Amino acid sequence: MVTIALDAMGGDRGVETAVRAAASVSLQKNGPAVLLVGDRARIEAVLQRSRYDAAQLSIHHAPQVIGMDESPREAIEGKPEASLLVGARLVAEGAADALVSAGNTGAAVLACARHFRKLPGVPRTALAAVFPTEQRRGEKDDPFSLVLDVGATQHTDADALVGFAHMGAAYAARISKNPKPRVALLSNGAEPYKGPAEVVEAHRRLQADPCLHFVGNVEGVDLPKGVADVIVTEGYTGNVLLKTLEGISETALNVARYAYRSRLAWRIGLWMMRGGVMQLKQLTDWRQYGGAPILGFDHLFIKAHGRSNERAIANAIKVAAKAAGSGLCREIEAQLAGKTEAA
Amino acid sequence: MSAPHIYRWDLDKTYLQTDFDSFGALLRTAFQKPADKTNVPGSAELLRELRVASAGHVLIYFVSGSPRQMRNVLAEKLRLDGIHFDGFILKDNLGNLLKGRFRALREQVGYKLPALLEARAEAPVEAEETLFGDDAERDAFVYSLYADLLARRVGRDVLAQVLDVAGVYPDSRALVMDTLLALPRQDPVRRILIHLDRKSPPVHFDVYGPRLVPVHNYFQAALVLYEDGRLQAEAVGRLGSVLIERYQFTLPMLLRSFQDVLRRGAMSYEAAGRLGEQARGLGIRGDVIDLFAREADERNVSLPPARPSELPDYPALLRRELERHRIEKLRRKQRRGWL
Repeated sequence: MVTIALDAMGGDRGVETAVRAAASVSLQKNGPAVLLVGDRARIEAVLQRSRYDAAQLSIHHAPQVIGMDESPREAIEGKPEASLLVGARLVAEGAADALVSAGNTGAAVLACARHFRKLPGVPRTALAAVFPTEQRRGEKDDPFSLVLDVGATQHTDADALVGFAHMGAAYAARISKNPKPRVALLSNGAEPYKGPAEVVEAHRRLQADPCLHFVGNVEGVDLPKGVADVIVTEGYTGNVLLKTLEGISETALNVARYAYRSRLAWRIGLWMMRGGVMQLKQLTDWRQYGGAPILGFDHLFIKAHGRSNERAIANAIKVAAKAAGSGLCREIEAQLAGKTEAA
Repeated sequence: MSAPHIYRWDLDKTYLQTDFDSFGALLRTAFQKPADKTNVPGSAELLRELRVASAGHVLIYFVSGSPRQMRNVLAEKLRLDGIHFDGFILKDNLGNLLKGRFRALREQVGYKLPALLEARAEAPVEAEETLFGDDAERDAFVYSLYADLLARRVGRDVLAQVLDVAGVYPDSRALVMDTLLALPRQDPVRRILIHLDRKSPPVHFDVYGPRLVPVHNYFQAALVLYEDGRLQAEAVGRLGSVLIERYQFTLPMLLRSFQDVLRRGAMSYEAAGRLGEQARGLGIRGDVIDLFAREADERNVSLPPARPSELPDYPALLRRELERHRIEKLRRKQRRGWL
């Protein structure tokens, strides 16, 4: 059975949300076991007020906490017993199969870098996230495309972008059960010469790569259509892209809520379309996706949104369990080995 | 010879995995054959261990809300499980139905309390008791009240208020009062174990004090009973093995259950250490003992402050429980907003 270490102290909503999420996961049949890492007294206090299964939950005490607004490097150096670092250490030692945290993203990346080993052939690790698209893919008819990097790094070179493409393809193959995912580079035009130098260079190398199904450059407008299954970009752009997509989804729902309240006719119209609206709401709700994996390490880390509520963290735990149980890291390692051989 | 120890068990959701949360499930349960009835993992094995541990010097009683018409099926099920019991009280649901006492069909206090008191009247005065129930109904409340009534910590005036709140019919009310009057003052209830079938938050049971321990599974119950001196280390080890071999438990699941019991203060570090030492002497796998010993030694969990052993305000507690039950029922019915 898979065990997921959860940084119980991370995230905007604090220990209450994390512990309640873990408690709800513990009640699911065939769900993963959860190792709660953090201040034991605070965790225990919430746990005793929650419905949970004792056989599926345990606590590992970590007395320090890294705040959301702390400098990642200083926090990692100054707080060796922080829940995030202790969680990463426990995963590296084999006490758990993956780590989930809604805490400080920069500190999370550094914690992983400290305790996990970067896979051979990985120039830079990447934070990957999914977003819903018009087209579906894979044997599971998956409605999500994968975009990476969305924030593990700021700017990257062509070498890193090629690495992201391979890691993303491995993730899509394993998690979306899509054996030949279409990989694209995010740029400001479809032509191979469009975009900054590193994108042009990455385009040249990806086009020549026999291990990938590279479909060329895509523009922002193409993303929601789902013309590619894996979108490769640098962390800064990827993060802006992801937040924009989240913002559009939230705004669309707010507009619908406003319409629902404003006029009886609109309310009736929305009520009649409620099945479709609910599906759309579910599809575009980031809380459904569960979090973004950091790819490129020998162990798995899932970064949940800082604003994550109980459901979002519970979904992040489930995503982590699925990825850990499917041998994602080994798949990425194999994909990268194939890339090296092809080169 | 000392008096035997009495174990009183509820049946549905404590001993048996019974589903009576819907009408269909209730019907299925009613027509199930003895061999088709499923145990709560480890319940039968724990009961057998409890009899063996005292060299048979125990009395085992079942008090269940199941209808009397199911006696043969349930008795056969227990026989198949190898459980020898000394008493079996079932509810006269048909009688209640024919007399138009519909409230009594679901009401627990007016049925279980007199049943327990009457059964106690037949027990040796010195005999101590361990009670097993679950969180699906009001076992924690009834068992605690029963213990405090016997010890005269709760007076007849408070009992009268409780019976009012519960809406107990006059004849059951008179039976409770009369039976209690006939019983000598005694304090036999040593432990109440509540199986968390509905996974109720443990904090809900704090009000009953440290005598009552909610357990998520029967390995936890075995650990508490070891601490109480009712089971030996060997029996705890055997129960753990059975849970792994027959009920899809794993060693880490037992380990986590063990940590939970320590965290909640239901087992002391001292008892945990003693259990490890005894288990080693019995030849239980060293790596298994080491795992448990490490959990106990590292003191990764701090013991909680001792729970208050103040007497609950039973009438107020019952009112709260009834209200909570009503709210939970309402919540289940409430439709979720769609936008």
